[in-house]
Amino acid sequence: MNLKGVKPVARILAREVAVTAFLLLGVSAVVFGILYLAPGDPFSLLLEGQMSAGAPGQGVREALGVPKAWHVQYLSWLAGMFRGNFGASIRTGLPVLEEMTRVGLNTLLLTLGSMAVTLLVAVPIALYAAVRGVNRVSFPLTMAAYVVSALPVFWLGYVVIYLFLHTFGLFPLASGSPGGSHGTNRLFLLLPIVVLGLGNGTLSEVIRHLREEMGRVLSEDYIRTARAKGASVWNHAFREGFLIPVTEIVASKIPFILGGTVIVEQVFNWPGMGRMAWQAALDRDFPVIMGIAVLAAVFVRAGSLLQRIVYIAVNPGASRETVERRAA
Amino acid sequence: MRKRYVQAPGRTDEASGLRFFRKAEAVDLFFVGYGLLIVVLVAASYAAGVFRLLPHDPEAVNLDLMLAPPGTAGHLLGTDFMGRDLLARLILGIQAYFLPGLLAIAVAIVPGTALGVLAGYGAGRADRVITWFSNLVDSFPRLVLILLVVAAFKPDIYFIMVVVGLTNVPATVSLVKVKIRFLREKNFIEAAEGLGLPRRTIVLKHILWHHCRASLIIRATLGMGEAILMETSLSYLGFGVQEPTPSWGNMVQSGANYFLQGNFWPSTVPALAILLAILGFHLLGDGLNNLLERKAVY
Repeated sequence: MNLKGVKPVARILAREVAVTAFLLLGVSAVVFGILYLAPGDPFSLLLEGQMSAGAPGQGVREALGVPKAWHVQYLSWLAGMFRGNFGASIRTGLPVLEEMTRVGLNTLLLTLGSMAVTLLVAVPIALYAAVRGVNRVSFPLTMAAYVVSALPVFWLGYVVIYLFLHTFGLFPLASGSPGGSHGTNRLFLLLPIVVLGLGNGTLSEVIRHLREEMGRVLSEDYIRTARAKGASVWNHAFREGFLIPVTEIVASKIPFILGGTVIVEQVFNWPGMGRMAWQAALDRDFPVIMGIAVLAAVFVRAGSLLQRIVYIAVNPGASRETVERRAA
Repeated sequence: MRKRYVQAPGRTDEASGLRFFRKAEAVDLFFVGYGLLIVVLVAASYAAGVFRLLPHDPEAVNLDLMLAPPGTAGHLLGTDFMGRDLLARLILGIQAYFLPGLLAIAVAIVPGTALGVLAGYGAGRADRVITWFSNLVDSFPRLVLILLVVAAFKPDIYFIMVVVGLTNVPATVSLVKVKIRFLREKNFIEAAEGLGLPRRTIVLKHILWHHCRASLIIRATLGMGEAILMETSLSYLGFGVQEPTPSWGNMVQSGANYFLQGNFWPSTVPALAILLAILGFHLLGDGLNNLLERKAVY
């Protein structure tokens, strides 16, 4: 074993955090760049039809404090974000950060809940298929998961709503309604979580990845040795065959799940960031969509940082190179 | 040509492994066939559009026959809320995603392969820059990035598909990079280098043509599945293909208003079409993967 590549865990972690920070800086530059290149600026939208484009409009711009040069704009936006000031929505005039924290928790609940649903369904199927191979139980189960994953999530949402309304007679009563309706309300909150967890394509990918990785680990020599010794195969296969593939696939699917929330929140009228992003794209509400894009990237990077930490915790001797090879 | 699998010596599970492969072969052929059927249907859609073979004008409104169920005389799959024929709209809806999807695939594969070669063959610095770029692109949820672009440019579907393609570049890059890293240590590449073959020949012929072709074709079929999902999702959200031009996404969306009243068909027909098409391209990829990749003996 080559011990030269081994670094202290703390140093590797510090490096990962630095890389994450650097990437987020890049994200902010890309977000700003796209909107800077956009034809027309938000103020022309704000003033559209209310004021002539000439001198009075210019006066309003200056009164609102629009800096002119791009780098001044970028730096002041970046500095504002560090102080927690994401600007104010053009349409509503409310501060973006407050709006985002108001709805961000709902999206976080939706995202984490749907991940849990995905794993609850995918892990047993994948492990069974990895251990037993293709047989008459695992094949139909895997196929069913593929089919559900390929269903358009927006249609699946309507089917589930219809079933609950007409078949089970459960109604999504308006929130804050009095009395005994809370039971059905809470049940209704579960629907988007389940729909996002089962639909949206994540399910089949988790099954595929976990099945392949676990299958590969189970055919390794050390598992055969463990089996011959009568030791627990699960204990020997857990880290390499379960923990790492699961964190890998979950971290790499976070962007995809966040994209799915845009649609699911639309179907279920779930007051979250996805709906807010949709509304902002419709209104060309630049500060809101900028804030959401940056926050979403923070979510994604946090997930991937967590995955690296798990990987390093499992295998402290991992040099940078092996971490990259696993990620590829 | 019969396939032959080279068996590793000393494997104890040879017999059961072989049986698994034989079984898998039939399944793979089924998948490939099913995927190809989808491809044929796409071609048929264009033929129908060009030669005017559609059963009805897909945009002809017939207010006497709104929300007709499937099997109504003259309307095999029924009609939507404006009495437009669902089958005709379904067939024409294929064109909403197919060419944009091809564009997304081209954007993902061509620059992705070039960058992958650069990263795999280039010195450490090129690799670091490209890896950083890949990580940057992967930091954005795709749909959020597209909403950002929609807000900024109000783009058409082709512009959006270029962005979708760009978000798929990192996957191609890492695929090609890993392949090259793996192959460079092989004897035949070393031999080719030792013989003094130009690097261009080695990269284009020995690596890309002989060893990456299959994986890239598979990536492309998966890319088409993703493009369908993206196009239908965006049309559903109202940012893609606009009414009255049919797209499977906006068909589901407009039919959804009548879904809760019990008129399932206007949105279920296009939803099932989306399901079958995405599944078709995914299974085509899976089947090709198993058939082509295992055949390659290194």
